[in-house]
Amino acid sequence: MAARILIAEDHPASLELLRYLLAANGYDILSAEDGEAALDLARRDRPDLIICDLQMPKKNGYEVVRQLKSEPVLAAIPVVAVTAFSMIGDREQVLAAGFDGYLSKPIEPEQFVALIEQYLPPSLRQQHGGQ
Amino acid sequence: MPDQVDYRWIADDPDALMMLDHAGTVLEWNDGAERMFGYSRTEAVGTRVHELVTVPGSEAEQDHFIAETTERGRGTFEALRRRNDGTLMYVVISGKVGQGAPDELYLLFSEKDVTQLKVQRDSKSLESKFRELLDSMPDGIVIVNPTGHILIANRQAERLFGYDRDELRARPVEDLLPLRFRNAHKGHRSHYFSAPRTRAMGAGLELYGLRKNGTEFPVEISLSPLKTEETPVVMSAIRDVSERRGFEQALQEKNLELLAANRAKDRFLASMSHELRTPLNAVIGFTGTLLMKLPGELNSEQTRQLEIVRNNARHLLALINDLLNLAKIEAGKVELNFEPTDCGALVGEIAASLRPQALSKGLELIVAMPVEAIVFETDRRALSQIVINLVGNAIKFTLHGSVRIDLALDDSGEKCRFVLSVSDTGPGIGEQELASLFEAFVQGQASRTKGVEGTGLGLHLSRKLAALLGGELSCTSAPGTGSVFTLTLPEP
Repeated sequence: MAARILIAEDHPASLELLRYLLAANGYDILSAEDGEAALDLARRDRPDLIICDLQMPKKNGYEVVRQLKSEPVLAAIPVVAVTAFSMIGDREQVLAAGFDGYLSKPIEPEQFVALIEQYLPPSLRQQHGGQ
Repeated sequence: MPDQVDYRWIADDPDALMMLDHAGTVLEWNDGAERMFGYSRTEAVGTRVHELVTVPGSEAEQDHFIAETTERGRGTFEALRRRNDGTLMYVVISGKVGQGAPDELYLLFSEKDVTQLKVQRDSKSLESKFRELLDSMPDGIVIVNPTGHILIANRQAERLFGYDRDELRARPVEDLLPLRFRNAHKGHRSHYFSAPRTRAMGAGLELYGLRKNGTEFPVEISLSPLKTEETPVVMSAIRDVSERRGFEQALQEKNLELLAANRAKDRFLASMSHELRTPLNAVIGFTGTLLMKLPGELNSEQTRQLEIVRNNARHLLALINDLLNLAKIEAGKVELNFEPTDCGALVGEIAASLRPQALSKGLELIVAMPVEAIVFETDRRALSQIVINLVGNAIKFTLHGSVRIDLALDDSGEKCRFVLSVSDTGPGIGEQELASLFEAFVQGQASRTKGVEGTGLGLHLSRKLAALLGGELSCTSAPGTGSVFTLTLPEP
């Protein structure tokens, strides 16, 4: 069974891009356009990986990751920030806030899937992993 | 207790009268003494005179009055006395010995307040000696005696405080202070006279003067103790600092404004960066998915046009990055971290990462450096950015031949210098272009004619970074001979 990835992203074009790239590589995609919806989906569907924007309505990415990491059944799910905040110091701030990884926008589509897959266990990787 | 003495005369006397025993303990204290010194008869009787009116530190003088009066039967003295509220005054004392019981002698002191007399007398004496000298000084000068009276004030002081000529003479110096400071000042003043020392301008707290018309103004005051023949005095020079305080306050407000503006600018830069990248993410991303042929096959013309879109989108991204970097440098927001850096290794890594680009154009990329490691204290990130820029430019603008990086430590001068040069066999740069080469958005002829794309900010940024590192970036070139860019960094 393909790994499930939850994408929390409020910018429609960015959401579509990430969804398209990952779906094209065989992943099951769940998506949410605000922080609260992302948390609800995470609790209901327990995805294998969460990709999270920082600037979102209702709950921003920092609040989402704090909540996820505080709930024992969700804390183990890797959460990667994909954000257009890429000034000096942003990466450090993101990792310090509890995210497992940081990728800056604009993403490089040729490398994106490989970079994201590093946060999945090899057995769940479609491209560069186990099978 | 000599109870056979007739005390009626004592009560009536306008002067202060006190009866003491030989140890200086008060036996009797009249209404005049009560008025003059502020202690009631009940407080005074049975207390030693030292603890009542003697100025601390001059107990020996008081003992001397008692001894001399006892010895000679009578005596006249001049002394400084202290009231119970701390005020000092000059008195003239006449003492005599009286007899109570046949074997009981007592001392009778009659004391007259001569402060005003003495102030007038001392003032006249100082006037004749110092008036001309003091009027020639630029600051307001006030000379004050131990009782806190102004003996002399120069013209500048009179003008400063808004008084007419000679109007300040003999006034309590506290008249020149706002009400709320007066009591504390009296305390400071008697303290000062017990341990006088020079205090320079500006060494004090925020002080204020009070003009005759009731307005206040900020002052700076210096104090110098002086010994005159008549009395110890303190000379204070007073300066109106309203204007300077005004400037200081304006400056402080301006600083706060600038700080706020700077924070707003930081927030603006961060938002701008975010807002510009978000749409570019979709442009670069979907161009990429198309070129990856994820949605389906492309013909060669479609591929070519999409590549143009992608190159231009990347160019726009580079421009945004350069502009933000530049804005950060201009705002002084670049944090440098000077540490010993293996510059040879650093340049080697950069050359390795750019070599494929050079090889794809058929260019040779040569790195020439001494065998021993070149370790130099600098900021690694800034140095990398400059070198990547210079080598990247050289590869971009050179069509045939080679790009060569030379690096060395030059310790021939006083300070060791790190010298790195990037030479190419490109088209070279004309004199006119050379003059404005490091300005923003100025690109060489080559980029315009050969369609080579740069942001027009790379050299401008590199030179700014070089300056941040304390060094220089320069270029020598001529059309047809290639170009040499030289980065020189002094040891920090």
